[in-house]
Amino acid sequence: MARFAQKNTTAFTPSQDTNYEHGYFSSTASYKHIAKPGLSKWVVEEISSMKDEPDWMHQLRLKAFEQYEHMQLPPWGADLSAIAFEDIHYYLKPTDAPSKSWDDVPPEVKATFDKLGIPEAERGVLAGVKAQYDSEVVYGSLKAAYAKDGVIFLSMDEGLAQYPDLVKEYFGKLIPSGDNTFAALNSAVWSGGSFVYIPKGVNVQLPLQTYFRINSPNAGQFERTLIIVDEGAKVHYVEGCTAPSFSSGSLHSAVVEIYVKAGARCQYTTIQNWYKNVYNLVTKRARVETEGEMIWTDFNMGSKVTMKYPSFILAGKGARGETLSMALAGEGQHQDTGSKAIHLAPYTSSTIVSKSISKNGGRTSYRGLVSVGPKAHHSQNSVICDALLLDPESRSDTYPVDKVFASDVAIQHEATVSKIGDEQLFYLMSRGVNEEAARKMIVHGFIGDLIKKLPLEYAVEMNRLIDHEMAGSIG
Amino acid sequence: MSAIQTTISESQSITVSKPGEYEYFLTKPGVEFTLSGSFHATGSERINIRITIHHQAPHTLAKTKLHGVVADSAFISFWGKIKIDPDCPDTNSFLTERILLLSPQAKAEAVPELEILTDDVKCSHAASISSIPESQLFYLMSRGVSRKEAEKLIVEGFLGVESSNQI
Repeated sequence: MARFAQKNTTAFTPSQDTNYEHGYFSSTASYKHIAKPGLSKWVVEEISSMKDEPDWMHQLRLKAFEQYEHMQLPPWGADLSAIAFEDIHYYLKPTDAPSKSWDDVPPEVKATFDKLGIPEAERGVLAGVKAQYDSEVVYGSLKAAYAKDGVIFLSMDEGLAQYPDLVKEYFGKLIPSGDNTFAALNSAVWSGGSFVYIPKGVNVQLPLQTYFRINSPNAGQFERTLIIVDEGAKVHYVEGCTAPSFSSGSLHSAVVEIYVKAGARCQYTTIQNWYKNVYNLVTKRARVETEGEMIWTDFNMGSKVTMKYPSFILAGKGARGETLSMALAGEGQHQDTGSKAIHLAPYTSSTIVSKSISKNGGRTSYRGLVSVGPKAHHSQNSVICDALLLDPESRSDTYPVDKVFASDVAIQHEATVSKIGDEQLFYLMSRGVNEEAARKMIVHGFIGDLIKKLPLEYAVEMNRLIDHEMAGSIG
Repeated sequence: MSAIQTTISESQSITVSKPGEYEYFLTKPGVEFTLSGSFHATGSERINIRITIHHQAPHTLAKTKLHGVVADSAFISFWGKIKIDPDCPDTNSFLTERILLLSPQAKAEAVPELEILTDDVKCSHAASISSIPESQLFYLMSRGVSRKEAEKLIVEGFLGVESSNQI
């Protein structure tokens, strides 16, 4: 499609269809433990003692809680004033320990993941699976061939128990608890998440996937993920998120730390489809060494508010970073997403592509930072943000910051905002395509480049979801 | 520092020559507005420009162009914002920020922001920060221009400065 759409498009009324297919939930009666709502030092102690963890982790939690108590909500970005922090359950433990086999998973939990199609996906196209239900990972598997190569794929709690030295060396080093309010909160009450270690030179061809599911009302999910990709290794990690359609809000606040060693490659794909009552406030950061490569593929469709800016620190010569970000905001949603590229070493390059669609009064914001340090000569960066507005009530913002402290660099930023043009619709309709199909085609074309970067089954799913969102959008 | 506020109710062009904070309000339908500014920072100079283009009426057009050259250990910051209020259909607004770095100690910051609350718009911004491409210098030097002179020509062209009496 043209970079700019034409004016004077016929108005069309998007449907008020709020059909959300993952909105069911199951009883929490069989849960092993549910923390009382609200956060206190006692809750932090409770979580720590139930997990029976090393003393350094216990101290880290207490320190983070102390920091959290003194921190404010960010004054910028989305409106977070409606979060009822005192109503949230900070720890919900559905089962005692992760199961190795689907047969051992409690029936109501299994039914949920069956509906989401996890077991089939595992058999066919994934190297390993983790399923997190509220605060804990309830199921985990890894194909034997990869386990033999030394690949570690555990829940963060198992990782801490089995590889305490490795975890201690990396945990909280890239995103310390004082980094921001939600990093402090996560560090204090974290539970679940993944611990991934790929040994030198191992190429994990199939994706590893973790599935995050919120099941309880007023749930707080604070997973903590640590991925270490050793020299020359390759991995693709995928996470998916859904939640039941409760009227009260839930809070999801994750921290993801990724270390990409020399010559390694890591792709991290997020398909975020929370129900529209979830506050999704996530900190994600990767450190990339010499000639390593980090790719964030970030798709945000659900949640009430998302604030998420996956970032990469290009710390080694020739390191490369890429972010592909797509946001879809409907009624009552605010997707405040973007990416940060920090160039610290020479000959580093990065690309950020962001596409956003606002409809039905939704709001999308791109917020990004490109910073090129004094030693990062011969570095390159390019940022492209395109926004599509589907009706007059919707809103789109772009807040980029480019900072350069070195010469011999090339930094570019481009952004456009437009709507679907009459001219484009006329072109397609004059060739016998009806208006609804034409609109879908244009939207698919708008985000097509990004969809292509997804694993096949997700690309199919994503196209289906967008069709579903667009269906009946002709008045 | 308080912003210098200007209401644009008829089509016009304005050139900004001093650093500072400026706000322009496009309040009348049909208004076309061009804003430009060229800045050359040398020594340890620090130049800060903040510009807001606020579209408050339908059928308006604004073009904003900021160019900056940073030499020695100077610093230039361009902060530009396009804001389009609700119910302002047929708005066109374009913002360009270009910065050329001449020395390894030169520093620059470009922040082009958009806040769009109406859908019938054509709106874009672009920002770039770079050094003089070696290929451009080579082109001029292969035609017998010294490196220093070539750099000067490129900077003048970039800033749109007519080289008086020469040649």
